[in-house]
Amino acid sequence: MSDVSDGTHNREKIISILAEVTGGKSYKAHKYGLDYSDRPSIDYGNSEVVWRRRAETTLHKSYIDLTSLSRKLSQRDDQILSYFLDGSRRVFKVDDIAYPQSGGRNVIYPVIAGQIGVGCCRRVGKRVFPVKLKQEFVLSMPDIANADGKPGFWPATAKKLSNCSELKRLGIEFSNILPYRTSKNVENKFEDRAIARVQDRMILREKELVAELVREGKLNQDNYLVKDGSLEYRPTKEDRSDRKRYQTFKNNYNWVIGAAKNFNPEVCEDINGKPNPGFIADLPCYHRTPVAEYENPMLGDIKFAVWYVRLRDKKDTRTPFDGVLKIEKILVTEEENEYGIDSELVDTLSAYLINERNPVCYGSDMRWANLIYPIHLTETYVKSRYLSSESFLQLF
Amino acid sequence: MMNKLIGRVLATERNPTTMDEFHFWTDSDQKLHAFDIVKVQHIDGSYTFGVIENISHITDAQSFLTNFISSDFGDVTIDEPTLRVGMNYAKAKVSYNTRNLYTPVHNNARVYLASAEEISMALGLKQIQNPLVCGFLKMYEGTPDEVTLPVYLNSKFILGPEGAHLNISGISGLAAKTSYAMFLMKAIQDQYLSNNMSDSVAFVIFNVKGRDLMAIDRPNDFLTEGPEERAKTYTEYQALGLSTEPFKYVKYYIPYASSASAKQSTFLTKDDIENYLHAGQLKKIKYIYSDDKENIEMMFSGIDDPAQTMESIISKIIDNDDRDFGGLSTWSEFMDTVAEKARKGSAGDKGDISVLSWRKFKRVVRKAIQDDMFANAVNPSKSECRLADELKQIKKNEVHVIDIAKLPEDKQAFVFGDVVRTIYNLKLGEYDSESGVNPPSRIVIFIDELNKYASKDVPKSSPILREILDVTERGRSLGVVLFAAEQFRSAIHDRVTGNCSTHAYGRTNTIETATRDYSSLPTTYKNMLTRLEQGDYIIQNPIFRSLLKIRFPKPIYKQFK
Repeated sequence: MSDVSDGTHNREKIISILAEVTGGKSYKAHKYGLDYSDRPSIDYGNSEVVWRRRAETTLHKSYIDLTSLSRKLSQRDDQILSYFLDGSRRVFKVDDIAYPQSGGRNVIYPVIAGQIGVGCCRRVGKRVFPVKLKQEFVLSMPDIANADGKPGFWPATAKKLSNCSELKRLGIEFSNILPYRTSKNVENKFEDRAIARVQDRMILREKELVAELVREGKLNQDNYLVKDGSLEYRPTKEDRSDRKRYQTFKNNYNWVIGAAKNFNPEVCEDINGKPNPGFIADLPCYHRTPVAEYENPMLGDIKFAVWYVRLRDKKDTRTPFDGVLKIEKILVTEEENEYGIDSELVDTLSAYLINERNPVCYGSDMRWANLIYPIHLTETYVKSRYLSSESFLQLF
Repeated sequence: MMNKLIGRVLATERNPTTMDEFHFWTDSDQKLHAFDIVKVQHIDGSYTFGVIENISHITDAQSFLTNFISSDFGDVTIDEPTLRVGMNYAKAKVSYNTRNLYTPVHNNARVYLASAEEISMALGLKQIQNPLVCGFLKMYEGTPDEVTLPVYLNSKFILGPEGAHLNISGISGLAAKTSYAMFLMKAIQDQYLSNNMSDSVAFVIFNVKGRDLMAIDRPNDFLTEGPEERAKTYTEYQALGLSTEPFKYVKYYIPYASSASAKQSTFLTKDDIENYLHAGQLKKIKYIYSDDKENIEMMFSGIDDPAQTMESIISKIIDNDDRDFGGLSTWSEFMDTVAEKARKGSAGDKGDISVLSWRKFKRVVRKAIQDDMFANAVNPSKSECRLADELKQIKKNEVHVIDIAKLPEDKQAFVFGDVVRTIYNLKLGEYDSESGVNPPSRIVIFIDELNKYASKDVPKSSPILREILDVTERGRSLGVVLFAAEQFRSAIHDRVTGNCSTHAYGRTNTIETATRDYSSLPTTYKNMLTRLEQGDYIIQNPIFRSLLKIRFPKPIYKQFK
């Protein structure tokens, strides 16, 4: 019965290959998912971003009522929000591997595996169709597992893994192994550091997909892209190399807006420059805040316009921040950079977003109050393409 | 022609595919109907066919509340910029596999619309022997893929000897029960007239309402519907391979009424009667005491007789050697004798039968025979006849229409019972020695309102029920076939419906579908029964692989509105 050899018991498991290549010792620990169910939350981090100055053509001092505009727009049958993009990831702790440290003792590190999916859907006549999907499998290992510290080590290891018979048979590839830092001066747990690497990778893929859509010229004044979450935009080296191309690229970002469910209300400063979370909490239904501008030193010379829109009445939601979307848009033209974004455009975009409040995904997603339905569908689409947790964990 | 791909099979833990059913998803706008056939790709290059039982539409909304919230917590004017994701899934019953593989169909298997050829195969309509058209069916109605197919029964399964009898149920007016029975009989007559059949058939039809069936050999004038409807109806008949002519070889029988009496015994007009008489098509029925006294029991079909005293009286009366009744020859003599027995102080018959019983008997009989029809003699030159004598002479392809519409219920029962008994005895060979008796091998009796004679409430002792049970249970081999119709099938004696090989369900109501008789039907079909259009029937016959929803064209014979 020689055929059995590549059957059940002699299967090369990824973990044993990893242990062998990195010289660690696998503990065949319990494998489990690290994702927590999506629940509404307030993002307290990233306070480098600060509301600076008004960034729209009309100088509003208070909330702007969009009730009648949104109603007017809903009666017309056109739509400018056409594309929707969302990324998600699923992470699992798949093993503990011990590596020898100084003094002859072993330290155990978790090995994290993740599935990343980024998808884009298009709305045509009230129906949503998928247009793009990027998927990948990644691993995150402690940086010291790269014993020699050579830069090509991780890609080579990933390639080796993907070439093993088990993965070949299933047609699965690990695109990369992302090392997480093991130094002691960072407070996070190793797991969290590893998850952060996977998250970063997902954001990278999101950016790539946005850039792809922008480059393909699918977006224009009648076809905006709504990206779930913050609009963290970073041009690639190639984009920057050619000045003209860079400008075109930036211009195309005219048609992209970011709609974030989670945001840090502390970051909002009032006219006197003091943090004023109440300003957003008190935002009336179907109103928007004035537009502010911010720069993020991490993102280079790009300026963002930011404003908030309330989709749902406070009395209908759990917290005053539920039902509020944080909208971001890049200031593209010189004019915009100087005088701010056209208030009329902000009103129109906001009104369209207000109309996106229905239908809701109440019951299937806890974040229903902040989630617009096409984004929810995109997310559902991306998640539907994941390998099931059981199948995925069986690889290890 | 390529089949149109319309969906994929669904198999989940909760809703697995099984040997006899499966679910598949399809576009929300795909038009499908209950009873439509779909074709599913299956193992070994085979195809499984399924009959759609139900279609459901679902969306990703978790609860009603989700939808309510999606309209700004109850604003009815709100329209959403994105349609909620929704899909249709259909439940289908497996009817057939091209290679006899009843392994459950696989998840994600392709689901197609079927071609006309495939539909016939899937429903078991192909290679039917002795084909008798019983209507047509439409698949994928209202779509460009609509298919219309004639539906054939094996006539041996409706006229015997393999299976016999037809039961039609449905609400009056909406179900067109009589029209359907007439359509089938028209199809049978056409078949026997145009083809060389090894056996032969004749029909005995009761007209129970107005003049409905009193002109079935006259063409439908389509006066109210117009010439377009006529053309359409003719096309439908031709498409089914039937002639566009009404019934042939029709004879009408009306109860005799004396010309002196003002009371008419029929809804036919004087002119109609004259015309028919002139054409030699009509005769007037008389009952003569000496020949018909055996039928007196039919007058008691609706009367409870727990002590069987009525039965004893009747057996005394028909006993030719009886002291009191043996020599009587007229109804009036008979009534006098009965009156004598019922008189106070009369000795009765050695005390066997009490005076009270005689009085009860007298009451029933006196009322029943108070009619010109019960006469002393038949005058053939005035087109009078005894019905039994006429029926004994029935020839192949003939249609005998007996008008009992204007008779009171007890006399209707009397005539009906007499006919069923005569036909049954005729086929039993009791009259074979008489001259001119040469009955066809199959005789179809059609009666509407079967519930009057064979309902569950009819006394067990009812002689008519007994006759009907004889016919349904033994008529198949004898060649007596009962086509019966009633409003509520559930009211009919189980042994009657149980022996019918073919059942036609027309429009009915929910009270009826809630009864045990319909418990084997899926809920969707039950609900469908309450919505069927006039002329739509759901047909059950042993040769069909599943129930069929069929239609039939408008009557081709004269209609009285």
